[in-house]
Amino acid sequence: QVVKREGSGTESPMIGDKVTVHYTGWLLDGTKFDSSLDRRDKFSFDLGKGEVIKAWDIAVATMKVGEICRITCKPEYAYGSAGSPPKIPPNATLIFEVKLFEFKGEDLTDDEDGGIIRRIHKKGEGYSKPNEGALVEIQFEGRYGDRVFDRRELQFEIGEGDNYDLPHGLEKAIQKMEKSEESVFYLKPNYGFGSAGKEKFQIPPDAELQYEVKLKSFEKAKESWEMNTDEKLEQSCIVKERGTQYFKEGKYKRAALQYKKIVSWLEHESGLSEEEDTKAKSLRLAAHLNLAMCHLKLKEYSQALENCNKALELDSNNEKGLFRRGEAHLAVNDFELARGDFQKVIQLYPSNKAAKVQLVTCQQKIREQHEKEKKMYANMFQRLADKDVKSAATLQTSHTEDAEMKDEQNGVEEKAEVDAEA
Amino acid sequence: MAVDELQAIIQRCQILEEADFKGEDFNLFQVAGQKCLEDGYAAQLLEVIKNEKNKVIVKNMGWNLISPLVRCIFMYKQEDDKREHCLKILDQLAQLCNPKELFLGLLEQIEQTSGEQVCQTVMLLLQPLQTVLLKLQNKKAYSVGLSLAMIMNQLTPLPVPYTKQQIQEDKLGLCQCCNAVVDFAKPFVNEVVKNMEKSSECNDMELKEELLKFCMKSLNYPLLTAQLEQLEGIEEHPFRHFATEIVDILWDIGELIPLMFLHHKGKSPHWQNQEFADIERKNSADSLACLSYLIFVQNFGIDCFPMVFSPSYLLQCNMTHIEVLLKRTEESTLSKGLDLFESCLLRMEDNSLLHQYLEFRDFIDVPQDLVKVMTLCPIEHLRKKSLNILQLFIDKFDAEGKYTLFRCLLKTSNHAGVEGYIIKNIKDQVHLSLTKACDNIWFKGHHLISLLDLALLLPEGAETDLLQNSDRIMASLNLLRYLVIKDCESDNQTGVWTMLAKIEQNFLKPLHVGLNMSKAHYEAEIKNKKENRREAHSSNTVCSVTVSGEKMPAMTTEMQLQVLHSALFTFDLIESVLARVEELIEVKIKAVMDE
Repeated sequence: QVVKREGSGTESPMIGDKVTVHYTGWLLDGTKFDSSLDRRDKFSFDLGKGEVIKAWDIAVATMKVGEICRITCKPEYAYGSAGSPPKIPPNATLIFEVKLFEFKGEDLTDDEDGGIIRRIHKKGEGYSKPNEGALVEIQFEGRYGDRVFDRRELQFEIGEGDNYDLPHGLEKAIQKMEKSEESVFYLKPNYGFGSAGKEKFQIPPDAELQYEVKLKSFEKAKESWEMNTDEKLEQSCIVKERGTQYFKEGKYKRAALQYKKIVSWLEHESGLSEEEDTKAKSLRLAAHLNLAMCHLKLKEYSQALENCNKALELDSNNEKGLFRRGEAHLAVNDFELARGDFQKVIQLYPSNKAAKVQLVTCQQKIREQHEKEKKMYANMFQRLADKDVKSAATLQTSHTEDAEMKDEQNGVEEKAEVDAEA
Repeated sequence: MAVDELQAIIQRCQILEEADFKGEDFNLFQVAGQKCLEDGYAAQLLEVIKNEKNKVIVKNMGWNLISPLVRCIFMYKQEDDKREHCLKILDQLAQLCNPKELFLGLLEQIEQTSGEQVCQTVMLLLQPLQTVLLKLQNKKAYSVGLSLAMIMNQLTPLPVPYTKQQIQEDKLGLCQCCNAVVDFAKPFVNEVVKNMEKSSECNDMELKEELLKFCMKSLNYPLLTAQLEQLEGIEEHPFRHFATEIVDILWDIGELIPLMFLHHKGKSPHWQNQEFADIERKNSADSLACLSYLIFVQNFGIDCFPMVFSPSYLLQCNMTHIEVLLKRTEESTLSKGLDLFESCLLRMEDNSLLHQYLEFRDFIDVPQDLVKVMTLCPIEHLRKKSLNILQLFIDKFDAEGKYTLFRCLLKTSNHAGVEGYIIKNIKDQVHLSLTKACDNIWFKGHHLISLLDLALLLPEGAETDLLQNSDRIMASLNLLRYLVIKDCESDNQTGVWTMLAKIEQNFLKPLHVGLNMSKAHYEAEIKNKKENRREAHSSNTVCSVTVSGEKMPAMTTEMQLQVLHSALFTFDLIESVLARVEELIEVKIKAVMDE
C-alpha cells in the first residue's frame, strides 16, 4: 500500500520518536481533504504509538530525513468502514504526500528541556506504566562515553533509586516505560549525576550518560476484576516480595497490606488450569502464613489465629502454620490448645527444636497454672475456714500472686522467619 | 437654568490651565451636565461638547457624564430625537475623552448594571469601549482582558435560552449580546494575528493570553449549557454562530490545536498568573470538553483539524472530556457528553479497540458513569441513549476487552437491569464464539467458567428479592438454557457441564427455595387482603407518599391485589423457565448415560 517517490538522508525514525512532517491528503477522486501546508504549520506526532492511522505508522517509519513520499492507503490501514465524518466517506482509499522534516527521540522531561531522551528498541505491552512507589524489575546497562560503568539486574521501588545508585533521571524515565519495553535513554548531567559526579563508578562531574534499560515487570495497582488470572499470579509474586521486604524492615503493617492483596485477589479465583491452581494455592498459603507472622508481631492474636487456620485449611500439616498457631494460642494463654499444636509439630517434624522449646514452656505454664489454681482454691478454703483476722492479710497475698502470674506470661518468641516459598 | 449653569462652568474652565482644574470644577461640570440631560437639553449639551474651544475640558471631565448619559438613553424611546443626541454625545466622548479615565467610567457603568438591563447596557457601550481600547497604548492587553472578563462576569448569572421558543424570544437579549461581544473582540484578534505574522515568536503574548481566557470562559458560559443543534425554523442560530466565531478566534490566534491535545499530554494551559491557574483548572476542564464537542460533534472548525489521527487515539484523547461532561446532571451538558461519546465510537470499527485501553482509568470510569446515567437520570431519552451507547462501546472492543468489561460491570453496577443486560451480552458473545470458527478463547472454557460464576448466582442466596432482581434472573436462566441446548456434554466447549454441580448448588437450588418462599408469602398476602376487604374499609394508612407536594392517593385494595398478582405472575414465569432448564439438563445427562 505504499509507493515511494524521492528520498535523501540516512537514518529512519524509531518507535516513540517525535516526527515532524508536512503532508497533503487526497481522496481517490482527487478531492483534497487536508493539508498541513494550508495550516502553515508542520504536523508532529509520536511514531508507532497508534496516534495516527496505521498506514502512517508503517510508512513514516521507513522514511529518511528530507524524503518525500507518496503513499496510497487502503481503507483497512486508514479509516475503514466507519470513515471519518464529515470529510472522509466509509471505505475510502486515501493518498498522502508526506515530507519528513525531522525526527528526534522522545523528550521525557516535564519542561521539555531535552534532559531525558528516549529511543525505543522494542515496544512494550499495554498502556500502563509504573508510578511512584511501584516495585519494578529491570535489567540495565549504564554507559559513560564508551565505557560501561554499571550493569545489573535489579528490583527496587520507584522513589528509592538513590539507595541503589540510580540517577533520578533514570527513575523518571522508567516511569514512562511499558512492560517488556527495551529502550535507551540519554541523560543530560542535571538528570544524571550532576555536578557531583559519581566516584563509585568513576563518573566525572557534568557527565552525559546513556542507559539501556529493559523493564521486565512492575507492580500494577489494579482491581481484582481488572486482571486476568495470569496477571493476578504475576502481581501476587511481586507483592509477596514487597511484603517480605517490608517485613525485614520491621514495617509489619505495610507487609500485612501486601499479603492481604494476594488473599483478596486469589481467594475466589476459579476456573484455573491445574498449573495455575497449584501456583495460586501456594501463593495463598504463603500469604496466610506470612500474615499470621505479621499479626503475631503486631500482637493481633485473633487475626493471627484466623490466618493460621486458613493456611492449615490449604495444607493441614504445614509446619509453620501449626507452629504459629501454637504461638498465637500461647499468647492468649490457651495453653492446652497451644500444647496440642506444638505436639503435632514435633510429631510431624521431629527436628523442629523451637517447637520442642515451646512445648516445654507450655507444659511448664500448664503446671504453673494448675499450681496457682490449686493454691488459690486451697487458700480460699483456708480463708473460709479461719474467717477472722487473717482475711485481710491473705487477700493481699492472693493479689500479689495474681500480679506474679501476669508478669510471667511469655510474649511471642522473637523469630525473624518469613516464608520464602516459591 | 441648566444650560446656563453649564455655560458658566465652561467659561470658567476655559481660561484655566488643565493642571488647575479642581475637584469642585469636576463636580460642577458633572452636576450641570447631568441636569441638562435630565431636563431634556441633550442637544445643547451636544453643542457644548462639540465646541472646539471646550476640547480640553471635555477631555478631562467628560467621562463623568457616562452614568447620567446611559440612564437617559434608556429613558427615551427609540425614535426620540433626544436619544439620538445622547448617542451622539456618547460617541463624541469616546473620541475626545482621556482614554484611561473613560475606560474606567465605561467599565464602572457595566459593573453596576444587573438583571434585565445588563445586555442592553453592554451592547450600548461596546462601541465606545472598543474605540477607547484601541486608543490605549500601555496596558492595552490588560484592559482588553479586564473588559472582556467584566462583561462575561455580568452575563454569567443570566439564564441561557434553551428551547427554540426561548431562543427566538431572547427575552434578556443574551443571544444578541454574545454575538456583539464577539464582534467587539475582532480588531484585537486581528492585531494578534498581525503580530504573529510579523515575527515567528509571538511577542504580544499578553493580548493573546487575554483573548484565550475570553474564549475559555465563553466555552464554559454560555456554550456549555446552550442548545447547539440545528433548529428548524431558525435561520441564524445565534449560539451556533457564536460558537463558530469562538472557534475561529482560537484558530486565528493559533491556539486551537494545542488546546485540543492539552489535557492528553498532561499539561495545563500555560497561564502567567499562577493562582489564576489553580482556580481555572476545573473550569478549563469544562471548557475543553465543550470545545471537543464543538469540533467533533458539530464539526465547527473541523477543516482546520488534521485528518490523520487514528480513531482509537481520538477516543483516548476525548475520554477525559466525556467523563467531565457525563458527571454533570443538566440535560444540556449530559447530552453533549453522550453525543461526543457516540461520535467518537462511530468512527471506529467493531472489535477494533484493543483491550489494553482498559488500562486507562477513564476507560473504566466512563462506562460506570454511563450506567449511572442509565439508571438514575430522570430524562427518558437520555437514559435510552446511554444504553445504546453502552452497547456501542461494548461492540468496539476486542474479545478480551469485552470479557474484562463484562466482569467490571457485573461487579460494579449494582443494578439488576444493567446486570441482566450484560448477561444477555455474554450469551451473545458465547453464541458468536460457538458458531464462528474463530479461536476466541475468552468466551469458552475456563475463562467462561469464571464469568459464569459471576453471572449465575443469586446475590443474597435464597433470600434474594426475586422481584427486584427478576431482570437479572431471567437473563441468567436464558443464558444457562442456551448453554445447555447448544453445547453437548461430549463437546463441552463452554465448560458448562463441568460446572453443573456447582451451578445447581449455588444457583438453581436456592432459586427453587426462593421461589417457594416468595410465592407462599405473596399468596398469603393476597389471602389476607381478600379477607380484610370484607371487613372495614378504613383508611388507616400506615404511611403516605407525597409527590411534588401532592399526597398520593392510597392504593385501593384492588390495585394492591393487582400488584400482588403480577408479582405471582413473574414468579411463575421464572419457575417455568427454571423447570425447562432443568428438564433440558436431565435429558442431556440421560442421553450421555445411555450411550
